[in-house]
Formats: sequence, structure tokens, C-alpha cells
Amino acid sequence: MNNENNVAIAVNNLSKTFKIPHNRISTLRGAFVSAFKNKAYEKFKALDKVSFEVKKGEFFGIIGRNGSGKSTLLKLLASIYTPDTGRIKINGRVSPFLELGIGFNPELSGRDNIYLNATVLGLTRKQIEEKFAKIVAFSELERFIDQKIKNYSSGMQVRLAFSVAIHANRDILLMDEVLAVGDTNFQQKCLEEFNKYRKQGRTVILVTHDMGTVQRHCDRALLLRNGKVVLIGNPLKAVEKYVNQNMSDEENRIEKNSENTENNNSAAEPPSAPVSAGKTTNPRPKKAAKITRVTFLDKNGKPKNVFGTGEDIIAKIHYQSNKKILKPVVGIAIYTQGGIHLTGPNTRTSHHLIDKMEGKGSLDFVIKNNPFYSGTYALTVALYDWECVHPYDIKDRAYQFKIFSKEENQLGTIKLNHLWKN
Amino acid sequence: MHENYRELIWTLAKTDFKLRYHGSVLGYVWAILKPLLMFLILNFVFSSIFNPKNSGIQHYSLQLLTSIMLFNFFSEGTNAGLASLIQKSTLVTKIYVPRWTIIVAATLNSLLIFLMNLIVIALFFTWYQFWPGALPIATFCYYIFLTYLVILGFSFVAAPFFVRFRDLTQIWEVVTAAMFYASPIVYPLSILPEQYHQIILANPIAYIIHFTKMALTENHYAPWWQNLLFTGAVVVFFAAGILVYRKMEAKIAENI
Repeated sequence: MNNENNVAIAVNNLSKTFKIPHNRISTLRGAFVSAFKNKAYEKFKALDKVSFEVKKGEFFGIIGRNGSGKSTLLKLLASIYTPDTGRIKINGRVSPFLELGIGFNPELSGRDNIYLNATVLGLTRKQIEEKFAKIVAFSELERFIDQKIKNYSSGMQVRLAFSVAIHANRDILLMDEVLAVGDTNFQQKCLEEFNKYRKQGRTVILVTHDMGTVQRHCDRALLLRNGKVVLIGNPLKAVEKYVNQNMSDEENRIEKNSENTENNNSAAEPPSAPVSAGKTTNPRPKKAAKITRVTFLDKNGKPKNVFGTGEDIIAKIHYQSNKKILKPVVGIAIYTQGGIHLTGPNTRTSHHLIDKMEGKGSLDFVIKNNPFYSGTYALTVALYDWECVHPYDIKDRAYQFKIFSKEENQLGTIKLNHLWKN
Repeated sequence: MHENYRELIWTLAKTDFKLRYHGSVLGYVWAILKPLLMFLILNFVFSSIFNPKNSGIQHYSLQLLTSIMLFNFFSEGTNAGLASLIQKSTLVTKIYVPRWTIIVAATLNSLLIFLMNLIVIALFFTWYQFWPGALPIATFCYYIFLTYLVILGFSFVAAPFFVRFRDLTQIWEVVTAAMFYASPIVYPLSILPEQYHQIILANPIAYIIHFTKMALTENHYAPWWQNLLFTGAVVVFFAAGILVYRKMEAKIAENI
């Protein structure tokens, strides 16, 4: 059938479960002893009924969180593991590049390792001799080729290993997140090679966390989550779904965290543990007023901790004042994770007059159309008197919000509205 | 998947060789020195304690040397095969290489060393001006081949087991030490009472060593049917090794 010849890899209903014993028995003696005990173990389902096809000449991306099963899938494709159920059909020979320097021996020279590695990948001695010069040239390691691998930097090792893998003449290239080690020139080179591969009708499968590469270069992508296939197809859609999933995962994690710290906070008076690594300064021994809580909301008032670039962010500042304070000033400051102070307006400079503070209340700080790129940001909230000399309460960088951006090119910290003009 | 099994095994063996002896002549000399020194010490000790000639043993030294070299081959070969998969664990976990090529390559190393040791044996025989005939030498070669089969068969089983149970090396150390004394290496079989002969000879290495000694120095051979039986047993052992290996092959990468 015509269809059959087009397919490089066909995976059908693939499942793989690992048994993880609670006590790893690694000795015969241990085995004898434990034969009489109940062997407790966990079953970890790494892959659950995964099915997909990769056509010849495709540049196929596999994305997913750590632990979603990507590496296990690659190892199954490379015949390093055997499947529990399901079938893998591979049309052509596979050149795996799963980690730095497969079979590289640190005590041998680069030259010896090329021979070893290339033989392992299936080349005969004659073929290796013919390609040797090209392999070395591609890796740009001519000067170091006779030195021992243990003296190479990780970048050099990747270049050498990749060079051998590329020249190994195989139909399907399996790559697992290794390109991240190389510099941009190297990554460029790799992408060019991938394109050459595809023109020759060969297939490239890339596991990566670099969403930009997936969106720009992959023909199709597969999104894995907890061992199951979530989406196969359009790489842009796959990346979008991946980012969305990550955002909601982060939400859940931060919520859990702040629940814990809120429980701690309400139990005792400050100095308490804020969510981030900020300090709470208590300048006055007796608290006339304090900031009790700050929550982040989206533009509909729903609590949220993770926002996309361009969304509205509302910080609801809850305060409590034990005596009547006239004309208080509330100020905020936003810091990047690296500690750079981005902005710091207060109600006085922004001409938002607060008449008085008495008892409990709240104030909203609204950012419309936030310009922040992906990252974690810290918020300081402070409560001052009108002269801004004596602070009633300062919660320095005590609140965090995260930005998950789907923007393709995130250069710098903020997104600026701009035009180019001739 | 690989048209180049032979090259693969050869490259792996060469790599091992280079690593172990750092490509230096001194390294190789050390490989020979070990059994040689052992021979010299044992020869001295036993010749001083009792004079073998009194027990009617001609050519004790030659017998001792050959036995030691043979046993050394067995010991090194099995230890190398046993540890091969763990030693080359990166090869096993990062790319598909037929595991058996790794095991075979590891044992090849010991075979190479032994073949080079044969030169030393030949030198000694020349020194003592003793030349065995064609049949003894042929028998010797035949027994060498059988020894290698035993080593391989054992390694095919031991290597995957070692991946799972890491104390196998210690156990095997003790077993080989026991085998050394259970085999007629430093003593002739004739010293032992008749009824124990069969038991001792049930150990394949003992059988090989004893009859090699006899063939080379006294032109005495086992009955042909006994040799046939023995060969059959070795072949069965080898085949069983392959079967066990086949069963364990799938889970090797996971267990490392």
C-alpha cells in the first residue's frame, strides 16, 4: 500500500509500566532475605496507550512536562526498552542521540571515540574512514581531536556526538533535549542539518522544551501529559495547550503554597513567613494599621496567580486599621526575580486620595494590559501616613505573581508598544 | 539492524584493550606478568616442599605453568564477561546495541591475553627442551576452544544477572578461589584417591586442565567417548546460557 511506504514510525497502543520497589534489592543476599517478606512496590505507568504516526521526512516535535513520558517514549523507539503492550513499527534505521556522547569514553581521545561511536551506530570501518574528515570538520574540533574526551567541555562533547550522529547515515534521527547545551551558532547548524535531512526524505524527531523551535520548525507535534497523548498535530496548537496546562499547574501549586503560609500567618503575628523571600519590616512596636492580605484577581474578579502577557492584573489589598488614620498613602513596588525595581507608584503620586482608614477595608491596584514577559514577579505593598515618613506596615516583596507568555520572541522584561518607521 | 556485528565486537574489544593497557607495551607485559609470577612462586614453593619427581611426575613445572595459564584464562574471562554490561552501561542505556556483542567483546579481551600467554608457554617448553607432538597440541587447542565456550556460556547468564544482583562478583570470587584448589593445578590428579577422581573431573575446568596436562606432557588421553560426552555437556551448557540470556535481555536496560 502506498500509505505504508510513507510512514517512518507507527506506534500503536503503546504502554510501559515500571515497577519501583520500595526497597531496591540489588544483592542476591537481599533477594534471599526478602523472599520471605512482602515485597512492596509501586507501579509507575510511564506511558498509557500511546498511538501516533510519523511520516517520512517530517520534523516531529514531542513536548510535555518533565515526567510526562517523553524520554521513555524515545527509549522505546530506540529499542532500549521493550514495550509492555502495544506495537512499534519502524521503517528504516534509527540514529539515537539521547544524551551527551553515547558510549563516549572519557579516557579515550576524540578520534577513538568517533570510531567507537560510529561503529556502534552501524558504520563499517571503511565508511568511518571516508567520513572522518567531514565529521571532524562539522564539529569544529580539529585542534582537539586527539585529546581525551574528559578534557572537552560539554558543548564540545555535544558537537562531536551530534556530528557523528548526523553522519551515521540513518533514516530516522531521535533527539532528546540535547541541543540546549550548544550555543546559538551550533543550534543554527543543527537546524540546518535537520532541514537537509528532511529534504532527503529522512525523519527527525525532537524532544525539547524550547517552544520557539517547535513552533517555528516542526511540521507536527505531540503533547504528552502523564504518559497519555493530549494532542497530535499543529505545533502551534500543541504549544498553546502546553502553555495553558503549565499555567493552571502553576496556579494550583501557588494556591497550595499560599494556603499553607496563610495558615501559618493567621496563627501568629508577624514577623511571619511571606510567600517569597522578602522581609517584613516592623518599624513600629505597636501596629496602628496593617496590611492583612493581598490577593491577585483577573479582570472578572476571579482569583488568579498566573497571568498571560497583556491581561489585566488586579491586586486587591486588604487592610485593617485599629485607629482612625486620615489621608493614608498606599504604595506598591514591583520587582523582577532578579531584584530589579520595575516600578513603584503610590496613591499620593497617582493622585488617588484616600480620605481615611478605619477598621477593615480593601483597595484595588489595577494594571491594565500588563506588559510583562514570562517570569516571576514580586510585589511590595506599604502603608504610610500622608508625609510618607512613618510606615504603618511594609510587606516587602511578600506577594508573587507569575507571567506565562505565549509570545514568540520575549526579549527583555517588558513588552513595549512600539512602531518602526522609515 | 547491524550489518557490522563483527566490526562492532572487534572495536569494542580493541577499546577495552586500549583502556586497560593504555596502549602501552608495559601494560601488556603486566597482563602476562601476573600468571607468570604466580607460576614462579607456586613452582618454587611446591618444588621445595615436596619433590614432584618422587611422586613420579615428570615435567611438573610445565604442567603447573600450563594449568595456571588456563585457569587464569577462565578466571579473567568469566570476570570480564560478568561485569561487561555494567562496565559498558552507557552503551546499554543510551543506544541499541545487541547486548551479546558487549559480552562477547569483553571475553575476547581475555582470549587475546591468553593467546599471547601461549607464547610464554611455548618459550618455557623450549627452555625445557620438551616438544609435544601434533596430537597433544591439537588436543590443547581443542580444549582451549571448549574453555572459551564455557566462559561465554557462563557470561551470557552471569552478565544480565549481575545487572540485577550486584554482589555476584563477590560470590564468583569465592567460587573461583575454590575452583582453583578443586582443580588439579598445583597437584596432580593421581595424588587423590581413585573414588574422588570422577567428582573432581565433574568440574569442567578441572577436566580440561587435567587432560591438557596429560596430553601435553604424558601423551595420555581420555577415552574418546568421554571426550564426546564432555563436549556435549559443554555445548548444552553454552546453549542453555544463550537461552537464559534471551529471556533476560529485554529487561537489562531498565535494571541498570
